[in-house]
Amino acid sequence: MERDERSGLFELAAAVARERIAGLVDVYLERRAEAFWRLAAGRVVARETLLREGAAVRRAGVFASSDGLDRPALAGLLGITSRALPAFAAPRFPEAPMLEETAGAFPTAWSGVRWRWSWAAVLAGRSAVTVARPELAEVTFCDGRRALACWPALPAPDSDARPPAAPTVARPGPTRALLAPAAAAVLVHELIGHPLEGDLLLRGGSPWAGRGGQRILHAALSVADDPTRGDLPGGFSADDEGAAAAPRPLLAGGVLVGALADRRTAEALGVRPGNARRAGVHAPPRPRISNLIVEAAAALPQPPRGDAAVEVVSVSSGTLEPASGAVLLHVRTAFALRGGSRRQRLAPFTLVGTVARLARGILAAAEPAAAAPEPGWCGKDGEFVPTGAVAPWLLLEGMEIR
Amino acid sequence: MRAAADLLLAALHSAAEALSGCGVRFEAFARLGESVHLHRERDGSLERRLSREFGVACRVAGDGRAGFAAASGSGARAGRDAARAAMATMRPAPDPLPPRSLLGSSGTALPFQTPDLERLAALVEEVAGRFAAGNHGLALVQLRGLAGSSAAALATGEGFHAVASAGGAVLELLVAPSEGPWRHFHFAAPALADLDPAAVAERTREAALLATRGRPPERQLADVILAPAVAAPLVAALAQRLTAAAEPLGAARVSRAWRLVDDRPGPAGLLPLPWDGEGLPARRIELIAGGEVRERLATWADAERSGGAPGGAVRPSYRHPPRAGPANLVVLPEPALQQSELLARVEHGFYLAVPAGAVQVDAASGRFELRAAAVAVRHGKPAAAHPLVTLRGSLRRLLGALVAAGGDSESFSLACAVTTPSLLFRRLEIA
Repeated sequence: MERDERSGLFELAAAVARERIAGLVDVYLERRAEAFWRLAAGRVVARETLLREGAAVRRAGVFASSDGLDRPALAGLLGITSRALPAFAAPRFPEAPMLEETAGAFPTAWSGVRWRWSWAAVLAGRSAVTVARPELAEVTFCDGRRALACWPALPAPDSDARPPAAPTVARPGPTRALLAPAAAAVLVHELIGHPLEGDLLLRGGSPWAGRGGQRILHAALSVADDPTRGDLPGGFSADDEGAAAAPRPLLAGGVLVGALADRRTAEALGVRPGNARRAGVHAPPRPRISNLIVEAAAALPQPPRGDAAVEVVSVSSGTLEPASGAVLLHVRTAFALRGGSRRQRLAPFTLVGTVARLARGILAAAEPAAAAPEPGWCGKDGEFVPTGAVAPWLLLEGMEIR
Repeated sequence: MRAAADLLLAALHSAAEALSGCGVRFEAFARLGESVHLHRERDGSLERRLSREFGVACRVAGDGRAGFAAASGSGARAGRDAARAAMATMRPAPDPLPPRSLLGSSGTALPFQTPDLERLAALVEEVAGRFAAGNHGLALVQLRGLAGSSAAALATGEGFHAVASAGGAVLELLVAPSEGPWRHFHFAAPALADLDPAAVAERTREAALLATRGRPPERQLADVILAPAVAAPLVAALAQRLTAAAEPLGAARVSRAWRLVDDRPGPAGLLPLPWDGEGLPARRIELIAGGEVRERLATWADAERSGGAPGGAVRPSYRHPPRAGPANLVVLPEPALQQSELLARVEHGFYLAVPAGAVQVDAASGRFELRAAAVAVRHGKPAAAHPLVTLRGSLRRLLGALVAAGGDSESFSLACAVTTPSLLFRRLEIA
């Protein structure tokens, strides 16, 4: 971190270190500001502001957190007196952007727009590392779904969002599906991202445990977790344990080459840490996905609609059930394909597959790859962090429509 | 309660001070939450979490404008920050604040009790020990314990002031059978002392061994009994749907077997409170009864627009303005049947015993899907095990398909508190 003489964070870190607190791992400080513009018929009807600040202290086996970012609150968490700590200053909460004045009317399918800014710092030993993250823009649609991007870009309106009055019900059973980048991003997030999180690998809940160096995908996909992509929602300058951000290759040509680790899991996994994220000041750091970048060695020049029966444009959510190895994609927008062209719009359905089938079932990737507004907020045990993705189109078999 | 009350009052006072000269009507809400979490991993290692959340929210209105802001902090500054930010958010809007004459409290606040980490640790260890006893082939992958307490206070510029407090305890067990999918179990109670470690361990063992192997059933329409843990998230989703649906679901056919209430003042349910999210006295709100959808949950502003009754506001945290929604749902079985009587009513169907993952609800269509471990029932008797079945349908269909309820009510801490017995539905889709 560049030394900011006015913040007093280095002096604070030194003062905490001087106290020699038993088992102290690190101290985390955070400020967040959010503005939410509630919309109706394309116009702003209300605005809300949320200002949050807090601190968390990790000691061996104990995580303590509290709202408030002042010396008494921090001293209480550390179990020392306020006098032992010097004055320090977090950046002031910034003014929210002037959305109403600059954006005019919004799509009528939107029910809200949220802006989020955050600042964080990690104190460990005598060092202080500030964590820079992109400002976020989130659109909430009238049907409840949400899309995430980096401010000031607002997620593009979904031209397929409005379902027809009587969509066709998809025929249940095995299918060959073509996933658009937004849906492919969710699949890779569930199939590759979550199972390579260090805590899941060590708990025995990952199908990829013990498969390092092996080819786990038939397709020659390369997947990296890249928090340095500050243009995507999961970006950060340092992780939430203070490790500098760096891309983390996970798959290279379908071969498993990496895992997502925090300090606690890194040693056992034989990888470096750097993927610790906190859902907020009250959540301890855990290995989490940031931005998944999916690349294919021999991508087709265009989506192979002629080879698929169904085109999945977007999904409302995806789930990996670690122990059973089931992968579920809850499809929101999809079309039947015939002769390489879109036919009927299909009613929402679920695509169900197993990790083992999908490992063999990704048949091809195709251009154009695109940054996806999904998965967006990624939940793990009720803790949510923003994530991003860039993915190509994927042709796959081995999943069933249910 | 004293220290908690002092903190709340200091924050409300600072907010009121900042707003009192601004020429606006205002409401300030402060909430303190303290919780202790324990995570016990398979190898016996323990992780302790202690959390203290405190924040203030302000709603302001005047001259045809209204605003809302919230701020967290460790004391009075949060009140001032929220007040100033609320003034900055004001824009043309109707006054959302209920009149003073409607505000009140249906009871007195219970004492605030700081959660007891040592007692939680002892409970977690006892459950783990009792679960491990015996040769059942089950592994306890993770055991989580949570105990929490909260205190809230609300004050308005017109002199109303009220306080409330609540507490709760939750145990969650992740269990790996020797074959078949892992199982997740959830037990909730108003206090740690209400969780019986022997019963938790025994019920978890029994349920985890219920359906470890078997084939998926054919797709079919079948009668289904939903165990309380399976029914609870559906009941919550149904209540949310009844609150939010653009078109009234009252037009749907409603079974006379339903009696669903939002029992806000208690004593039934997991989370009674003396006032709603806007400071109106808590009252029991009949959502479904007598074969019809009765009342729709509404904030004061909602009720003004729709002509309904207010009192249905919730405030899950200080971070958001009050909104209409269920708080303390209770399904009242009338009559409450024994488990054997429920089973006897199933000629050909399934007993969905243990949920597997979250319920998926499509907000636009009101369709839901859930997965659970199930036992096939033929002529009222268990016939076959199915480790995973999928149940699909619409919330509207649930309204008409309920035929009976059991006497085995359990409480769950979900997005709202839900207390429900086993529920028997006719002809739902099993996939």
